[in-house]
Amino acid sequence: MAIAKAERLMNLALCLLGTRRPLSKRELRSSIEAYIEAGGDDAFNRMFERDKDDLRELGLVIETVESVDGEIGYRAARDSNRLPPVSLDAEEAAALSLAAKVWQQARLAGAASGALQKLRAAGMPLAGEGYGHSPLEPRIPAHEPAFEPLMLACRDRRPVVFDYRKSSAVRPESRHVEPWVLECCRGHWYLAGWDRERRAERVFRLSRITGRVRSRAGAFTAPVPDQVTVRETVERWAGEVATSTARIRLRTGAGYPLRARAVAVRETGAGWDELEIPYGHGLDAWLVEFGPDVVVLGPDELRTDVVERLRAVAKG
Amino acid sequence: MATNAIDQTRRMLSLVTYLRERPGARVADVARAFGITEDELIADLTVLPMCGTSFRGGDLLDIDTDGEHIWWRNPDAAGSSSGAPLRLAADEATALLVAARAVATLPGLRESDRQALLRATAKLEAAAGEAAGASSRLSVTFESEGGVFADVDRAISERRRLWLRYYSPARDELTEREVDPIRLFAVGHTYMEAWCRTSEARRTFRLDRVAEIRLLDEAADPPQLELRDLSEGLVQPAAGDPEVVVETGPGGRWVAEYYPHDSAEELPDGGLRITLRTPDPAGLRRLALRLGGDGRIASPPGLAESARESACRALAAYGE
Repeated sequence: MAIAKAERLMNLALCLLGTRRPLSKRELRSSIEAYIEAGGDDAFNRMFERDKDDLRELGLVIETVESVDGEIGYRAARDSNRLPPVSLDAEEAAALSLAAKVWQQARLAGAASGALQKLRAAGMPLAGEGYGHSPLEPRIPAHEPAFEPLMLACRDRRPVVFDYRKSSAVRPESRHVEPWVLECCRGHWYLAGWDRERRAERVFRLSRITGRVRSRAGAFTAPVPDQVTVRETVERWAGEVATSTARIRLRTGAGYPLRARAVAVRETGAGWDELEIPYGHGLDAWLVEFGPDVVVLGPDELRTDVVERLRAVAKG
Repeated sequence: MATNAIDQTRRMLSLVTYLRERPGARVADVARAFGITEDELIADLTVLPMCGTSFRGGDLLDIDTDGEHIWWRNPDAAGSSSGAPLRLAADEATALLVAARAVATLPGLRESDRQALLRATAKLEAAAGEAAGASSRLSVTFESEGGVFADVDRAISERRRLWLRYYSPARDELTEREVDPIRLFAVGHTYMEAWCRTSEARRTFRLDRVAEIRLLDEAADPPQLELRDLSEGLVQPAAGDPEVVVETGPGGRWVAEYYPHDSAEELPDGGLRITLRTPDPAGLRRLALRLGGDGRIASPPGLAESARESACRALAAYGE
């Protein structure tokens, strides 16, 4: 049976961490059983390169040193790999443990538990029974297949290409993007970045990315801003940025969310109230949901939009 | 929890550091400290004796367990430096820091917990050093629905019943209910899972739809229920729920993003044919109205007809 990958990685890590002088590939190959059994040079070289990358993903800093006779040596030096002293009390440990549980995405969930384990090994106390934290369970979903490749591309500042279907577009379009940040608002993930063809900042909703996210070679061409405001764009899409107010009639007892956001409410009798509500993008679609319980009084533009939508439904 | 090679390697490296300081450590304690099952730990302990700095030289870790205690007979074997705690990887720092910053913004978090979290975050940032840099490229915000949160929080810790006036968007009405809260969770919005005394069933309430709330003197007495697995999604329609088919144009594709569905087939015009199940199809009349010209209910016919009729009555108010 082939030797398990975890065992091979562990051996390589211990060799690199344990040595005072850089070890050559030849030395490493003869010290690790899985490499002895790896077969030909090509198979070994591929395996060795992948394993080094995996250990670097785990946070190991591996130096490469060229010796006088031109041979490359590898070593994970003590100083560059040690966690600086960090002292967390039981209350802080409990708070971090709660936070580490929020990820519902495999890679981040694994990384969060890995971080806690490193801190534990460094002496972080166990949360005692006495520390009751808030009875609240925050969860961060990340089911979108585009999430992981984009997270890595943001981390490594790598340009990407993906097919994106705008909310009302018939067909997806290919977009070349320099990814800056990923942000989760209201349980949905968004990417902000530089759209190379449009030569402008754009926000993308991950669920609208179709197909695979592919990496592109080369560096970013546009400067990365210090502040990126995904949330404002999302609120504008959702029509929450009101630009003026509208007047409506609302049947008594109906439309609680409209009342909750109203600027003013006046009872007019006969089973109706008159409301002044914030008017932003998308208000027409929302008002139509209330059917005959809402009548738009003004402005005219809103009234026309609502009537048009109602006509479309009435046609069946 | 499925273990992949990367996570297992990461964990074993920390185990080596941890066990070196604790000769004879108990299996149960170590499993708890590492957040894994005892079986997972035992699996790690069978791999570790195969690891070391030299296979040929026989310089392997002599770690052994009788199932209760763990013994390490040559703690100096693995070289002098591998015992030190390892620095955090960029992904590890990101996973923990982003989560901690997000949780610290939760409106309902108790103040003492928030302070502890903020202190821990600052220490972690310092310890992670440059590995913390990439964590600013990921962020999560929760909605601020703090108004009623404090009452729910108190009801849960004091095990008391709550009275609610709750808004149901499907029916556009406020109903009064008495509920026994079970737990609070946040996925974008904040929700309370509770046993509803009025309907004698488990219900999930979104806190921003609570119009009024009052703590009652009665003790909460929810039946013993298995907690739902939230990773399956909040809305989990039952197999027996009636089926609804919605056909949209390109402008109505968002329906598939907001409504959990069984299937979404592409239509030739760029729209979708979405099949979903719901315990209360009448509640989808609002969806039909909202879609306007961007989609229609294909089935059941009664639902499509009620949306049409509702639109006609609404138009009457505009003199049509």
